[in-house]
Amino acid sequence: MVRARGLVVLSMALMVAFACGGSSPGTSGSKGTIKIGSDFPVCTTGGQSTSNGVKFAVDQKNAAGGVEGFKIVYQSFDDCRQGSYNADAGVANVRQMLDDSAFMGMIGPYNSAVAKAEIPIAAPKNFVMISPANTNPCLTKDIPSCSTAYHPQDLRGSNPNNYWRVVTTDDYQGPAMADYMFKQANIKTVAILDDSTVFGVGISGAFEAEFKKLGGTVVKHQEYKKDQQGTQFQSLLQSMRTASALYVGGTDDQNICIPRAQMKQIGWTAPFGGGDGIETTDCIDQASGNETGILATSAGADATQVPGAKDTIAKFRQAFTGANDFGGYTMQAYDAANILMTAIGNAIKSNGGSMPTRKQVRDAMAKITTFQGVIGNYGFDQNGDTTLKIVSIYEVKTGLSDADVKSSTGVCGKKLANACFVWKTQFDFATSS
Amino acid sequence: MSLPDYGFYILCGTAVILLLTEAVRDTTNFAQTLVFGLTQGAIFALVALGYTMVYGIIELINFAHGDVFTLSAYVGTTILGLFAVNEGSFTALNLAVLVIIFPVVMLIMGGINVAIERVAYRPLRNAPRLAPLITAIGMSFFLEGVMFLWKGPATVHFPNILPQWTTTVAGVFFGFKDIFVIVTAAILVALLAFFINRTRLGKAMRATAQDRDAAQLMGIDINRTIAATFFIGALLAGAGGIIYGLYYGTVYYQLGFRTGLIAFTAAVFGGIGNIPGAAIGGLIIGLTAAFSDIYIGGRWTQVVIFGILIGVLVFRPTGLLGMRVPEK
Repeated sequence: MVRARGLVVLSMALMVAFACGGSSPGTSGSKGTIKIGSDFPVCTTGGQSTSNGVKFAVDQKNAAGGVEGFKIVYQSFDDCRQGSYNADAGVANVRQMLDDSAFMGMIGPYNSAVAKAEIPIAAPKNFVMISPANTNPCLTKDIPSCSTAYHPQDLRGSNPNNYWRVVTTDDYQGPAMADYMFKQANIKTVAILDDSTVFGVGISGAFEAEFKKLGGTVVKHQEYKKDQQGTQFQSLLQSMRTASALYVGGTDDQNICIPRAQMKQIGWTAPFGGGDGIETTDCIDQASGNETGILATSAGADATQVPGAKDTIAKFRQAFTGANDFGGYTMQAYDAANILMTAIGNAIKSNGGSMPTRKQVRDAMAKITTFQGVIGNYGFDQNGDTTLKIVSIYEVKTGLSDADVKSSTGVCGKKLANACFVWKTQFDFATSS
Repeated sequence: MSLPDYGFYILCGTAVILLLTEAVRDTTNFAQTLVFGLTQGAIFALVALGYTMVYGIIELINFAHGDVFTLSAYVGTTILGLFAVNEGSFTALNLAVLVIIFPVVMLIMGGINVAIERVAYRPLRNAPRLAPLITAIGMSFFLEGVMFLWKGPATVHFPNILPQWTTTVAGVFFGFKDIFVIVTAAILVALLAFFINRTRLGKAMRATAQDRDAAQLMGIDINRTIAATFFIGALLAGAGGIIYGLYYGTVYYQLGFRTGLIAFTAAVFGGIGNIPGAAIGGLIIGLTAAFSDIYIGGRWTQVVIFGILIGVLVFRPTGLLGMRVPEK
């Protein structure tokens, strides 16, 4: 991997050299540099693979001459503390970006709980945030279920919106799995387990509401906390096993997929579904021995199912050759980075070709109504939400051939490299509702 | 019998009656949970023994003990990674590896724990009691940091090399694993009891715990005896870590904090310093956690465990079996 990166850098340098030498003066880097940051839990495979998407987009852009003559410098910040995301670490990262006037915006964060802490400090500075992965609806929408949590206006105050996201929200993600289980898999009773986090409670609540609305029965809704439960889930599972499926709301860094392994240990065979927090490599590893059939939603169209994305993914694979370099949110991050760079470009143009202010970048971002990305053609509403309301459903298949692994999502086990999430179906809530 | 004693019996009686009601209402469910509780409890008991032994002899709450337990699972999974063990079916190689993994990891952990004692606790033996407590906490963070740097923050897979045999008896599902955990733990506890009560070194330990100065006057090598205590405590934690890994298949670097806290609770529950007390305390806490998870709800489990602990300590300050080792 190190060698591959070296090659990329080398070829990039060559391309830049050619660009500089070949074309008229005034191309890449001649006007100065603009920085963009990202804030992900890069200690996890999910966070790292998302960061790779941003890096790839920036590298491509610089190789093609930068943005309106400016060179883009990308800096990846890590919000991990003790192995999982931490809102305080995220806030510290955003402060660091705000202190450097060259930063014109950021991609991220990865986790909704981090976004909740970061938006209040970024909004007064008009600092653009585009998240490739946040799915908690309360960050942008003022819907009834947020009344017990928080509202967007609590986060940004009287400041104009500074937060956009390229994925849709848990109020679609939860229901998508409910629809799938109830209508397509013909499951009438479920049990729910959540990890007591902002994300886990939100998505499992949305699932529960939709499943009940469809006429299904929720046998039991249990929750746990990682630091109290350890890895001992058998008795929790035992209390739920009268259900014909288990829905989990949570993320792998809270050990949400360990129950999957233990279902086998207590002799409970039933479908196991969850949100995008389990569409990860670590989840497959945690479910060791019982990986097959894990169902997961992802709050966006699958890049591998979008014809236009094929080319980009192939190029990405050439640049990043590691087995776990490509993840469920890599292409979303790639799009988010390109949107941010487009907004920066527009702001430079409206500023007469010179360095824009953060306010100008924010205003330019608010004006983007259509964007042709690799995950589809979409725009944003005034809340900052994508007009694309597609939720994809994935299933873990084991014993895949090498070719199948390559054509899957690329989210495979570390231990079991031929167990991967494979695209199953998708729900488009923009057309159905 | 005094008033607190009555309170204690009323408390126990209520718990037993509530459980019996559930047992009659749905026997299968109850029996199934009993299996989970016993396996959990057996592991807690092994860790609790280490706490109670160290406390009994030098009155130190060895906070690093839970992390020694986790570290043994990390060492175990690394050693297992060297062999082409077969996950999913039981081969002759698996059996051979299983037989050697226990002594090897236990001895390594014993050595590490003796080193910890030498570096972090022995220099502070005559310091105020708070000082070694703080170094114990520091050692706990140090070990967690080592595991974090070694294998990263994500969960670590532990190879599942035990036979996959499972069966259902009267609706209760259990497998070789469950029997293995309970039997191994029982054997280890029996060996420990034999060692403490029947050997010279065991006698030296009991003497040192009773009165260190008098024991020294009688010609007992105090440093060696205390080191031996740490060694044996780590043997049990080491076995516990391997058993945990084999049973649950997944460990992570922070596991020791929670397991240690619960095992320490179990030791206090049974009467800290009291070896049979720690074993019984571990079993009871394991059962409590399992029954609370299923009958009360996962979110209340920690509350129930510590609620019972408070109840027991209020009515019986010396723990369930009382402290056999007199306090100094």
